[in-house]
Amino acid sequence: MFVIARLFYVQIIWGNELQIKALDQWTRNVPVLAKRGEITDRNGVVLATTKETYTVFVRPRAVTDLDGVTTVLSNVFSLDKGELIDKIKNTKVSEIKVVKHVGKEYVEKLSNYSLSGVYFAEDVTRYYPYDELLAQVLGYTSADGNGISGLELYYNDQLSGVNGDILYQADLTGVDLKDKTPYYRPATDGLNLRLTIDYEIQQILEAVTDEAMSVYTPVSASAIVISPVGEVLGMSMKPSLNLNEVPLGDLETLNKLGRITLIADSYEPGSTFKVLTASANLNEYYNGNDKAFSETHTFNSSRFRYIDGSKIKCWSTHNNGKHANENLSEALNNSCNPIFVDIALALGKEKFYDYVNSFGYGKVTGIDLPGEAQGMLIPKQAVKSADLARISFGQAIACTPLQLLMATTSAVNGGKLYSPYLVKEVYSSGGALSSVTEPNEIATVIDEKTSKTISSYLEKVVSNGSGKQAYIEGYKVGGKTGTAQKYKDGVINQGKYVMSFIGFFPADKPEYLCLVIVDEPVGGTYGSTVAAPLCKKVFEGIINCKGL
Amino acid sequence: MLKSLTCSNKSKGDIFIPICTVLISAFGMLMIYSASSYQAELTYGDKFYFFKKQLTGFLLGLACMIGTSLIDYRKLDKLKYVFLIISVVLLALVFTPLGVENYGAKRWIGVGPVTIQPSELAKFSFVIFTAGYFAKKPSRAKSFLGVLPVLLVGGVLCVLIMIEPNMSITVCVGALMLAMLFASGIKKRYLFAILVPALIALPIMIIAEPYRLKRLMAFINPWASPKGEGYQLLQSLYALGSGGFFGVGLFNSRQKYRFLPFAESDFILSVIGEELGFIGVFILFTVMFFLSYRGYRASLKCNSFFGFMTAFGITTVFVLQVLVNALVVSGSIPPTGLPLPLISSGNTSLIVFMGAFGVLYNISKDLDKV
Repeated sequence: MFVIARLFYVQIIWGNELQIKALDQWTRNVPVLAKRGEITDRNGVVLATTKETYTVFVRPRAVTDLDGVTTVLSNVFSLDKGELIDKIKNTKVSEIKVVKHVGKEYVEKLSNYSLSGVYFAEDVTRYYPYDELLAQVLGYTSADGNGISGLELYYNDQLSGVNGDILYQADLTGVDLKDKTPYYRPATDGLNLRLTIDYEIQQILEAVTDEAMSVYTPVSASAIVISPVGEVLGMSMKPSLNLNEVPLGDLETLNKLGRITLIADSYEPGSTFKVLTASANLNEYYNGNDKAFSETHTFNSSRFRYIDGSKIKCWSTHNNGKHANENLSEALNNSCNPIFVDIALALGKEKFYDYVNSFGYGKVTGIDLPGEAQGMLIPKQAVKSADLARISFGQAIACTPLQLLMATTSAVNGGKLYSPYLVKEVYSSGGALSSVTEPNEIATVIDEKTSKTISSYLEKVVSNGSGKQAYIEGYKVGGKTGTAQKYKDGVINQGKYVMSFIGFFPADKPEYLCLVIVDEPVGGTYGSTVAAPLCKKVFEGIINCKGL
Repeated sequence: MLKSLTCSNKSKGDIFIPICTVLISAFGMLMIYSASSYQAELTYGDKFYFFKKQLTGFLLGLACMIGTSLIDYRKLDKLKYVFLIISVVLLALVFTPLGVENYGAKRWIGVGPVTIQPSELAKFSFVIFTAGYFAKKPSRAKSFLGVLPVLLVGGVLCVLIMIEPNMSITVCVGALMLAMLFASGIKKRYLFAILVPALIALPIMIIAEPYRLKRLMAFINPWASPKGEGYQLLQSLYALGSGGFFGVGLFNSRQKYRFLPFAESDFILSVIGEELGFIGVFILFTVMFFLSYRGYRASLKCNSFFGFMTAFGITTVFVLQVLVNALVVSGSIPPTGLPLPLISSGNTSLIVFMGAFGVLYNISKDLDKV
């Protein structure tokens, strides 16, 4: 009776648990890698994909003809036969990888021989058809296919999918059982990303930044184009790297070339920041703040302002009537520093900081990329008048180029601050949408009326101000230049500048907003002469290819 | 003596005994084929290798059974010393160059292609000896001196088997001795006097041999050494567990693909449990139980004391081995190599058991007319 009861217990009550444990030893599993999702531009141009490749491996105990197997393998993959024999003979593991990431043609060649003990499994290799295009943003994967930077990292979970496997039924020693069918657990392929990026615009940016690199031999050159609601249409940073030949072991190079500098590095924006100071003033004026200056107010023409004992001067000498009797619009045209100092001081620390904050400074923009910096903003409590005066024209504040662009966009798009984004849609290989990103409006920063006026001012900057070099005959282009000094160990590094230009068009209803930054160009000392023409090239390119 | 003379009431005998024996053996061959075909194909290039071997044993066993069922069992009484001497000599031969060592134990002797396992024969020799010894003078059971020769013979056999070493059969012979003494009607206190030292000896024997201790530990927690000592037990449990209630179907065992060691011999019950499920094992045990029942019935109904003792002994050997094997396979006692009678591969065991059941059948013809 005991025996029967015991058998009943083992077989019926304990049975399932035991069977699961047993199942584990009955099978050898060969993973079926999930296909990593593709990344395309907004129109379906493939920017990152996977090539079907294979890993070839040997199960030493299943090899019946060692000489034959090693001869074929060493011939096909040009390996050292002796080494291979050694490896197969002197191993305790059940599997040896012979080669990874080999093309289908090799595997087809191998299957002609029907070698026992040799197996292969799909191992997918990431492939970027345009090498350097959008490189830092797309990012790259580790050897085993996990995203380690850029979108590949940020969206790794969606892109990866779930691996499946083939469970070959084998005996104790790993020899497959001929009469038993293997179990398949299919892989679930990764989801695809459709970006907001426009391949054509991206190409233009790549060409323009390449040109900047060759003409000015700067430390770096970058350009970004977005739509007025924060869709990133193109983003190019030079120097760059070839995604198909990423030096995975060389961290220094990777950090240098792979950084998404437009979001990860902060810089002093310089004059481009004046757009925001002007916007703050006008918005306050329209809303009845009597400390703000009217559109027609004539500012003091002096080159200097003295604040708490420190002297702030305009970049221009103000000689021969330059920058004399300016109103706000003219001050923007001339990029005249003292005017903006007047504004910031008139509005006061509290009010001015409200605007700085609501324009998004000191906070990440929320773009869907890893490693975004939040810039540096002197805490309000610690801001002295002299700091406030400097911030008004873009000094004593550091932001990422993207922060600056988003803030400026909000000044000209009707007053709305958006969170920028790169992925428009996430969809399965079957086409089913998994998620769609809609423009994400964070705040209304200024009134529409203010925005209209500022846009018209910035159009004038391009048509007859410091941004002339971005002027395109017959098109309404708005913009603002910026030339920021560079600091080294806390002191101004003479002769080193970051040249930038923010442009947008059509000026009355912006569709494209572009920021161009050239870091330490050789020759040319102003944003107006270096960055503005580059922005013009970007817009000309867009006009050409979009047939505007 | 008077009684044995008057008992000539010959009947046809209990036909269920040979029928069950043949049925179980035939089923055993089927299961041996299933359990061993893969391994046999790999090792010998012939998937029928173990099956053919067992078939040979079966045919010889059948011949032996027919022979013993036709010969009057009482003749065995006269041969009791012959059997005993042969057994002892064969057991001793294991330690000569004729001995064949397998898995670290010398349990077989080989003559040319034939290997036999003397301990299988010894069990039954002991049964016949004890039966004959007490039948000659049943009063021997009443005195210690009368019992002593049985203890000595049993002791010698146990020692010889123990030093092979083969603890499981030693324990079986020991248990058999106790059972035979019990059947002979000895005083209860003698029984205890033997039982107590035996129970004390058991743990000592286990501790004395490191491998036995390891096996014991592995039995307590097989998962502690799944690749070592616990392996065999785990594999047996995996097989039984996979079988569930109805089994995975005949020939469909997965454990037989070299995972389960001794799948065709000591652990064939695991394969039966895997392929035919609890229900299959249950039916097999029902048939075995029925055979044992008929054996004890024949024993009790026999009108000669020798017949009673012999039938009792033969049936008890069978019952003991079935129980111990099932307990091992189901992980109820520490693993030990003991075949499942009539089923496990192994010709000596099969032939001897079939022969013994022939004797049992012969005894069953000799009924008391009540």
